[in-house]
Amino acid sequence: MTIAMDARKEQIRRLALKRRRKLGSLSDEAFEELELAVREDPMRFVDDDEEQAFLQITQVLDRYEQSRHDDDLLDDEQYAQKREQRNTALVAACDQALVTYDGCVDALTLRLLALDLSQAELFDRLLETHESLRSNEGSVQIPVAGDAWANVFVRPRLRLQAALARTGINTSRFRMTCDLCMDLLARAPLDALGARFTCALAMARLEDEKGFDWLDSREGRHGNAWFHLSRAILMYKLGRIPAARRALRGFDQLCAGGAYLLLQPMYVDTYIPDRPTFEPGSFQESMLCVHEADPIISDIPDFAAWACDQKGFLASAQDFCTRNGFQWRNWDE
Amino acid sequence: MAFDPQREDYQRLGLRFARSLKGKNAAQATREFITFGRRFAQDRDSLPQSDSDRAFHLVTLASRRIDYELPFADEQRAHRIIDDGHRILEEAISLDPHCYDAIRMKSAAASSSFDAFLTFLNERSDEVRTHCEEQRAAIPPDEPSERARLMANIAMRPYLRWVATQAEEALICGRNRESLRLAHKALELDPSDMADVRFTAALAYAKLEDESGLQEFIATRQKTRLARPSDDAWTRLALLSLAFKRHDLEEAIAHLDKLLDSYPHAAEALIRQNELPEGVFARLAVAPYSEDEIILALSEATVLLQEGIDLQGRGVLSTWLIQETARKRPQAMLAVLAQQANDAQSGR
Repeated sequence: MTIAMDARKEQIRRLALKRRRKLGSLSDEAFEELELAVREDPMRFVDDDEEQAFLQITQVLDRYEQSRHDDDLLDDEQYAQKREQRNTALVAACDQALVTYDGCVDALTLRLLALDLSQAELFDRLLETHESLRSNEGSVQIPVAGDAWANVFVRPRLRLQAALARTGINTSRFRMTCDLCMDLLARAPLDALGARFTCALAMARLEDEKGFDWLDSREGRHGNAWFHLSRAILMYKLGRIPAARRALRGFDQLCAGGAYLLLQPMYVDTYIPDRPTFEPGSFQESMLCVHEADPIISDIPDFAAWACDQKGFLASAQDFCTRNGFQWRNWDE
Repeated sequence: MAFDPQREDYQRLGLRFARSLKGKNAAQATREFITFGRRFAQDRDSLPQSDSDRAFHLVTLASRRIDYELPFADEQRAHRIIDDGHRILEEAISLDPHCYDAIRMKSAAASSSFDAFLTFLNERSDEVRTHCEEQRAAIPPDEPSERARLMANIAMRPYLRWVATQAEEALICGRNRESLRLAHKALELDPSDMADVRFTAALAYAKLEDESGLQEFIATRQKTRLARPSDDAWTRLALLSLAFKRHDLEEAIAHLDKLLDSYPHAAEALIRQNELPEGVFARLAVAPYSEDEIILALSEATVLLQEGIDLQGRGVLSTWLIQETARKRPQAMLAVLAQQANDAQSGR
């Protein structure tokens, strides 16, 4: 699984923009040259604490990603141990970055995520951070028009908010989750962080058909794992079984391993700090989606059994399992 | 208010007995009515009754066994109670194929899932309504108005219980809008809310995080002045959960304080959060503001308490309630822990 935040790329952009600010106006070509120079040797362009802290974060995320390469070869105990070491190292690095610059938002977010808190405490502390930053909004310019994601200096704040929204699902705060996601969609309509997927799940849980429909049409009704599964859940909850069945079929047929994962969920580690990247329609996408939907599916006691009873669903799940060399687990074993 | 099967059994036979005295002079009727209570208790068969009255009596026996004895029985006795309960319900249905209380109770036990039970209830709801309305229409027009009113009320009760059970099952199935729709349907049928379906509605509003809906519902209910004020444990837990979901922990704590103040031994109940089986006849009849009531409300509020990812696997709100209650009432926490240790030791 690849972490989504491309810290190195962001750092280059940040350093180039800051240097341009110092140099005064530059032509587009000159700015491109500058960016190339930064890419060659970013360290040379770091000349404030904020960027020094961001550099520390970039480095620790590289180490974090590298240390996950052979996770699949470890048994459960070894994995747990390695995971703990990795998280401890991440917390320590964030602490150091915060000593360098206490306003480093990514360090604040990553630190909380790596602390392995209960979801309730994680939500409390992410919210506290989010609110204290919002009350000091003055330091960061948030564009009124356009897409906030385009401003590389705003991205850490957007990441924090998206992480908070996802934790809202895990702590049953669906209205807050929707509000946080809608705010993200208003400020960053291109939604690089995929807040709309989190929002789709929350709207399904709240049985908010109007809201879900709006979101779905905003997406051009192209759907993806989150939209198919959310629609199946929403229609099932509203008692519109034929529509639920159609959505479930879409989830099964268009999302690789969707049926298999719904019946045999897989472990997914904490997102550091964003939802990992995935190819559209991939197994990875289905896995992340089912993982995020887990608290909502658990709240509908007969949903998975109902899905299992739908024509072809179980066969599709088992077929995927066999074709991909997974082992089918029976729950009564 | 809740439904009390024994009381309803008594009312049914009482009404029939009163009707049988028609044509007798007042002194004679009064004299005979004096014997009713004794005959009801000791010589029931000597009283006039129809097959549907007999079937309802069997329902009361099954309810007593399943709802009031089963939760306290050991495993061996539990099997016997369940078998007895089934046999009694079968007998009730064979006496009166329209005994919808028995039909519903039997299906509750026989259904393979919550969903299957809800589907069963939904499919037969109209049939139950039609039957109950026919019973109501068949009340002789010469009945004194007060008695006719009670007869009409009793005629509709199996349907009310049916709809109230639908609302409750829909809530358990995670179909919260459906649960609310059914609760409102039950309240339209019976604004006095004998079924206490407003408690189910409060939980459904909280599940949907529809705070303004719940506030409006409370205000409307208060205007009817028929029900208790909305300070019952169900409404309080719904409001508490909404505040918690908004992350207004101060307000959530204020609701917790009110629960602790208005129910005896509330702290122990809030820490234990026992899950009780649903009453198969209807929600168990317990005294308002009693310890039993808060235990029952917490059990029904499981849908709110046990949601979310939590290290203990209890649910986010459940754990928060235990922690906050223990903080406010450490003695209660110690008492519960001691009791649990004791139970574990004696193998219970």
